Amino acid sequence: MVSTTASASTPRTRSRLRRRNTLAGWSFILPNFIGFAALTLVPVVATMALAFMKWNSYSTPEWVGLDNFRRMVDNANFWTALYNTTYYAVGHVPLTLVAALGFAVLLNRKLRGVRFFRTALFFPYITSLVAVAVVWNMLFSPDAGPVNQFLRAVGVDSPPGWTTSTTWAMPALIITSVWRDMGYYMVLYLAGLQTIPGELYEAAKMDGASPWQRFRHITLPSLRPTTFFVLIMLTISSFKVFDLVQVMTEGGPGRSTLVLSQLIFREGIEQGRFGYSSAIAMVLFVVVLLVTVVQFRLQQRKER
Amino acid sequence: MKRRFAKVLAVATGLALATTGCSGDDKPATGADGKTILTVALWNYDTTPEFKALVEAYEAAHPDVDVQPVDILADDYPQKVTTMLAGGDSTDVITMKNVIDYARFGTRGQLASLKDEVDKLDKSKYRGLDAFDLEGDYFALPYRQDFWVLYYNKKLLANSGADLTSLTWQEYADLAKKTTKGSGANAVYGTYQHTWRSLVQAVAAAQTGGDQLSGDYGFMKPQYTMALDLEKAGATLKWSTAKTQKVTYHTMFSEEKAAMLPMGTWYAARLIDEKKAGKISVDWGMAPLPQATEGGSTTFGSPTAFAVNKKARNAEAAKKFVSWASGEKGAAAIAKIGVFPAYADQSILDLYFGVDGMANDDVAKKAFQPGEVKLEMPVSEKSSDVDTVLNEEHELIMAGEKSVDAGIAEMGKRVKSEVG
Repeated sequence: MVSTTASASTPRTRSRLRRRNTLAGWSFILPNFIGFAALTLVPVVATMALAFMKWNSYSTPEWVGLDNFRRMVDNANFWTALYNTTYYAVGHVPLTLVAALGFAVLLNRKLRGVRFFRTALFFPYITSLVAVAVVWNMLFSPDAGPVNQFLRAVGVDSPPGWTTSTTWAMPALIITSVWRDMGYYMVLYLAGLQTIPGELYEAAKMDGASPWQRFRHITLPSLRPTTFFVLIMLTISSFKVFDLVQVMTEGGPGRSTLVLSQLIFREGIEQGRFGYSSAIAMVLFVVVLLVTVVQFRLQQRKER
Repeated sequence: MKRRFAKVLAVATGLALATTGCSGDDKPATGADGKTILTVALWNYDTTPEFKALVEAYEAAHPDVDVQPVDILADDYPQKVTTMLAGGDSTDVITMKNVIDYARFGTRGQLASLKDEVDKLDKSKYRGLDAFDLEGDYFALPYRQDFWVLYYNKKLLANSGADLTSLTWQEYADLAKKTTKGSGANAVYGTYQHTWRSLVQAVAAAQTGGDQLSGDYGFMKPQYTMALDLEKAGATLKWSTAKTQKVTYHTMFSEEKAAMLPMGTWYAARLIDEKKAGKISVDWGMAPLPQATEGGSTTFGSPTAFAVNKKARNAEAAKKFVSWASGEKGAAAIAKIGVFPAYADQSILDLYFGVDGMANDDVAKKAFQPGEVKLEMPVSEKSSDVDTVLNEEHELIMAGEKSVDAGIAEMGKRVKSEVG
């Protein structure tokens, strides 16, 4: 590249140069690409293929066409899991979003001890999930748990059974996950808030805008890219929730908190029906894909 | 980013797919000192004394073999072994933690047949061998046979005057209610019913002749009624509390918060161990499991077994180890530390009751001669799916989310429609 003389412009050398550049480019991304191909691409493609096969991890996979999907449609467990996963997402996404935004706005001021509060709110996110689940399980314990003791103290006569109740187990999970995730998204929002120019607020103040009007017409619109990103991340993480449910309720009581990833794990790893579990994974993939595409579309329309 | 969610699962299945057919590791079959290396997949090696006893005794008797435990966390054991076998791992001996997993590995063709070894056995001295019969073939040999008994706290039951040698469940419940003292955090309960479904469902099946795979579960009703009644009377810790607080039966019994505890014979070894170490001081005894009908003598349990991996590196050495461990010598090695072996004759029983710290009065000896030991869960291709359904509905009944009748009806409906 140093000696770009007149001769370099002849077609032959130009194509050689291009080839060399291409090779150099490939060699730069190769280490990453090998890792991606071996650990992500191949398994994803294999999952797609397995969804149409019957395979117990030992025998030769056998092509069964749409059998796995037919079985899924007839299976109450699948519909229960799909419903529960959606329920979780519908609860978890907006609540986390609002909590994260609220705390970010609150902690974006020059307060005494603001660093302490920011750290404190981020803490749940870096805490071991198993510990979180065990502790929350105890907090939610129907008789001896502090949550219900508090509720009784403020006059609730028959507080919910939380993780032992089919009605309240999912709300208990959602509360725990909101508590755990809000710190992380709060940090994203804090970063977004830093990029809003202070002049906008000053100008609005001059025009007599109230704090609520300033929030509504300056903060929210300026944060739209951040909100979009947070929304996508939250949606994806909600639909593939697994660990928290597994350690906190194991899908119970009964099937009241059984989610799709858990069903995939159960059918695949535990029961050895890898074809069927891959088919469920495909459905989960399509669901998340659709939701994400819809979100992208809506975002584009808003920007227009 | 969108692909990410599928990644966790896909990595597992894909890698398994990619590695099927390759041998998992490249450890040599013999060590530097010329000894045959025999790898044995097992769980919690440090806290499960029977494994150490077996390994050490086998190495002492076979100086040309170096047994190398492949230690796996007990909770993850079934999943981990599934993945290992799927990935073509060449670990020689695989411990079968329960018969349901065994049926799965066996029917999938992942274990080597041990029919020749079984034909050589003196079957009259074995318990639990039938459980490993898969259509006439055997893929594992049991080395220990646990079954359920009633543990009791001698001090707490001292004044009850109860005869523990032949309790019915009704008498057990009455005794529990009578023995309960205090309430709340200071309560000393008459008994502790652990959260497992077997304590209700397998008991009912074993003692009334019901079949847990049948899809018809009316036979469980009396046992559920008794369990819920105990809770209502405050004679046992509430199921929901035990579940959410992840209460261990060991805590309840060894810290003397419960006077009785229906549990498996495996628990005795731990009680002996911890008492010897001075960690606990409970004065415990063992009695036969209470019965559904007067004069009955049926309990249930499940054998633990060793199997030979079909892809074992040292298949011959593995077979030898498995036969040895399930035979007289292996039985002696574990009976000595208070673990009840599958092979039992008088000399083994003497060893067992001779263990320092073992309950060996007449009540305990009666507990060890049950009329019949039924299998905790029948072995079939459906076992594992039925298990999931029964467990889910058990949770709902015990948490009070469903009535006994509704729960039992739902079990039947789901087993028929989902497993069928």
